[in-house]
Order: sequence, then C-alpha cells, then structure tokens
Amino acid sequence: MLKDVTIGQFFPGNSFVHRLDPRMKLLLTLLYVVALFLVPDFWGFLVIGALMGLVVAFSGISLRVVFRGLKSLIFIIVFTAFFNILYGGGEPLFPGISWLGWLKAEGVRNALFMIIRIILLILGTSYLTYTTSPVMLTDAMERLFRPLKVLRIPVHELAMMMTIALRFIPTLIDETDKIINAQKARGADFETGNIVRRARALVPILIPLLISAFRRAEELADAMECRCYHGGEGRTRYKVYSFSWRDWVALALMLAALSLIILMVIF
Amino acid sequence: MIKTEHLTYTYGIGTPFEITAIEDINIHIEKGDYVGVIGHTGSGKSTLISHFNAILKPTSGRILIDGHDLWSEEKKTRIQTRFDVGLVFQYPEHQLFEETVYKDIAFGPKNMGLSGEEIDKRVKKALDFVGLSRSILEKSPFDLSGGQKRRVAIAGVMALEPKVLILDEPAAGLDPRGRDEILSRIRDYHRETRSTVLLVSHSMEDISRNTNSILVMNHGRCAMHASVSEVFDRTEELIQMGLDVPHITKVFIALQEKGYPVSRNVYTIEQGKAELMRLLGKDGDQHA
Repeated sequence: MLKDVTIGQFFPGNSFVHRLDPRMKLLLTLLYVVALFLVPDFWGFLVIGALMGLVVAFSGISLRVVFRGLKSLIFIIVFTAFFNILYGGGEPLFPGISWLGWLKAEGVRNALFMIIRIILLILGTSYLTYTTSPVMLTDAMERLFRPLKVLRIPVHELAMMMTIALRFIPTLIDETDKIINAQKARGADFETGNIVRRARALVPILIPLLISAFRRAEELADAMECRCYHGGEGRTRYKVYSFSWRDWVALALMLAALSLIILMVIF
Repeated sequence: MIKTEHLTYTYGIGTPFEITAIEDINIHIEKGDYVGVIGHTGSGKSTLISHFNAILKPTSGRILIDGHDLWSEEKKTRIQTRFDVGLVFQYPEHQLFEETVYKDIAFGPKNMGLSGEEIDKRVKKALDFVGLSRSILEKSPFDLSGGQKRRVAIAGVMALEPKVLILDEPAAGLDPRGRDEILSRIRDYHRETRSTVLLVSHSMEDISRNTNSILVMNHGRCAMHASVSEVFDRTEELIQMGLDVPHITKVFIALQEKGYPVSRNVYTIEQGKAELMRLLGKDGDQHA
C-alpha cells in the first residue's frame, strides 16, 4: 500500500530525457516553472503543453504512471478549484437560474486556469524525478549552488544530507512494511476503533522504525568514516558530467517556449 | 492443515517493477509435520510463507488452512488465522517495542483478548520454551544481547500458542551456540505441542538435523516436496538450483565414489558415525 505512491519515484531508463545532463534538467525544470507562472492565458498553456508532450514522448514513461501519482493530489486540485470558483467575480454563468448564481464566469475560468497550471506543474516536476536518480539530482544541485559557498553556505553538506535522506526513503518504506507485517502477525489491528485507539496502534510500528532509523544512521556514519569521508573539501568526482548535443537541443526548445510566452505577456 | 491451490503472487502490478514472486504453487502440509523450506535467495520462500497467515492476498489461486479458504470466507477467518498460524519473520528482534520483555511477549496474547491470568501463564510458558530466565521479564528488551532479543521476539509469537509455527531464518546472524540453542528449543516446542512447524533456512545441516520433510522452492515454483532423504537424494538437481546437500552427505557420496560400500543416505553426523561404525565393524573386528 505504501508502495503505490509514485511521486518522487525514479524509473531507470535510457531515453533521451534520461540521458540529459542532470544539471541541465534541473535548470530546464526551473525555467519551465518560471514559464508556467508567466503564462497569461489559455493559449500559453498550449505552448507549455506541447513542450511537456515532447518530454513525455521522449522519456519512455507513460502518462498513466503519472496520473496514478496525481490521484493522491486530487484533494489539493479540488480545493484550489473550489475556492477559485467561490471567490471569482464577473457575470453569473447561468443568468436565468438563481440558485446557480454563485457560479460566475470569471470564477470558473480562474478555476480551470489553476487546475491546468497545477497539473502541468506536477507533470513537469514529476518527469524530473522520474528520469533522474536522487543521487544525480542532489549532485546537480550541489554543482548549481556551488557559487553560494562564497556566502559560507555549506552546499556540499546540505546536498549530502539530501542524498542520504532520499536514498533512505525506499529503505524505510520497506522497513515499515516489514514491521507492520510482523505486528500484524501478532494480531495488531490498525484498521478498527476510534482515532485514539488507532493512534495508539501506531506505537508498535513507530518505535521499531525509529530505532532502526537510528541504527542505520550509526552504521552509515561508521561506513562513511571507514572510507575516509571528511566533507566536501578536495573531494573528486567519480562521474564527471558534460553537456552533449541533447542538452543544447533541450535548452533551445525551452528557451524558444519561454520567449514565446514572454512575447504573449508583452503583447 | 495447510493447502494451496495454484497459488500465485505478483508484486507491483501495473508498474515497471512488476514481478511474479511465486507461481502456481500446489502443496499440502500435514498436521504435526516439521517441514524445512529451502531455496535460493529470491526463490519466493518468504512470499510463500507470508500467505499462510493471511498477510499477503494471493493474486490468484486459493489457500486453505484447516479446510477454511482464507480469502473467500469472512474477515473473522483471517483474524483467527493470524493467531492459528504464528509467523516469525527474519530478524524478528526488529519488531520489539515495549518497555519490558513481559509486555512485549504479552502483546500478541493481549490482542487475542485473553484474560490477564491466561496472558501471564502464556508469557511464562513462552519464556520457558525459548530458554530464558524469569529475571529478564522486567528488563527493557533493548538492553538485551542480540541472541536474547531474538529469543524474546520468538517467544512473542510462541505465546499465541499457534497450531502452525513458521520461522523465517530464525538462526540467521547468530553464533553457533545461539544457533543450536534456538533450533533445539524449536525442536522441543514441536515435540511437546505437536504443532506443525515450518523452518526456512539456508543451512542444509539445520534442515537435515531438524525436519521430517523438505519443500524446495526454485524461481517461484515448488520444485520438490518430499521427505528429507528423497530430496537430498537428488543432489545434482539441488546443486543446479544453487542449493546444496549437507557436508556429511557429500563426504559419504565421495566415499561411495571411491568404492567404499557405504550408503549415500547420510544426512547428520550421528547417521554418519553409525554408518562408519557399521563399515569398520564389517571390515574387521580389530577396532571394535
């Protein structure tokens, strides 16, 4: 059941999108989000949608997987739509019917606009994580944020912490599943009773999970020290990234879409 | 006691990680039997045993415990099955959570809704079965040694007094003495309670020394299910599956190949000793 969450998951592959440089992918996603928030009208979404279509087509990951992940965000989407409709101004959509008076043209338009924006936002960022392994992602972040070192921000340490956190999410999910099963085997019941009972029923899961997380942390720290890890200073790379023609093609497309949208904003 | 019909289970259906762990398993385990389950890593042993107490729902096929179909009958059957079939997972000490050993062992019996008196009786009985002294009952389980934690966790399942006890690698990661102790405790439990026991293990020695019959899993299918001697007689097949026969059996196979008139069906040191004595006795009486 915990394994049904697809947000933030990585699907290994060898497609065009997979083989883009992670630094470029991160940069492109950033530009994509900027473009998405600049979009002035529905025509703008067509440009972004076309771009997203290319990503889907050249990533080898079907939209079905993404939409399964979207299910868990349905609440946010409905919530946003609901308030946009409520607080929208303008003329009533159905002037003849009085009890639908709150349904205003402007509100519905805004709601639709927000829904499309949220879905495109999730799609874009989802495809980043679907096609880039967590390690590559944080690696790319570390490099893009390297200039911040001047401000004494510990970029390497932050990136390492993020890598470790991401790396251990699946491990801890597995562990949780195992503990749940072990307690179920002793007759633990997580599904019935009132909220207090259910909260109490979590204790036999949370305590073993916490203990195992600490144990893993200690073991990992020992293992890293055994390999002489001492932070980022003077550390060389196993994988050295370099931009290829793919990256430049992708960047060109992104910049074209961005300029098109900027033109839409101006005129 | 335990019966499966065309039991199949697939993980991650509809994702790129879809994998069928077990396929078309048809087995029948008799009441009171002590069954060893062997198979290469990833052969589906753990997936199979997780079906026996209704933790996993089969993708297709049926599973019957004592004649009850677990997934077509109402939920009550499955809850009762959790108590009738005690499942000890790998590294069970990772499931400990209570403040005291007593409370942790009592967790299962308490979930069964037993009276305080009955719980008390069962906790002490389970503690005796795993060979721990009463003095640790009020200690925190996290202050115990690795072997003691393992035994407390096993006692936590034994306290359910299940009709079937299933143990997944109960001796993994223990030193030889801890290993022997746990296995002999389980053997005693089997003998005294006449319950059905399933032992998953990678050690052919542990299997041959303890069990009556063996279930061999290979690539998600049940490759063999027969008595110890019948299974270990098929040495070549086992080796092809990445498994093995006990070391002592290998010694006797080698002896036989060198022309000594010994039996190949030797699976424990005791049997080997008896076989050698027989051979030496026949050769001449100077040693006797």
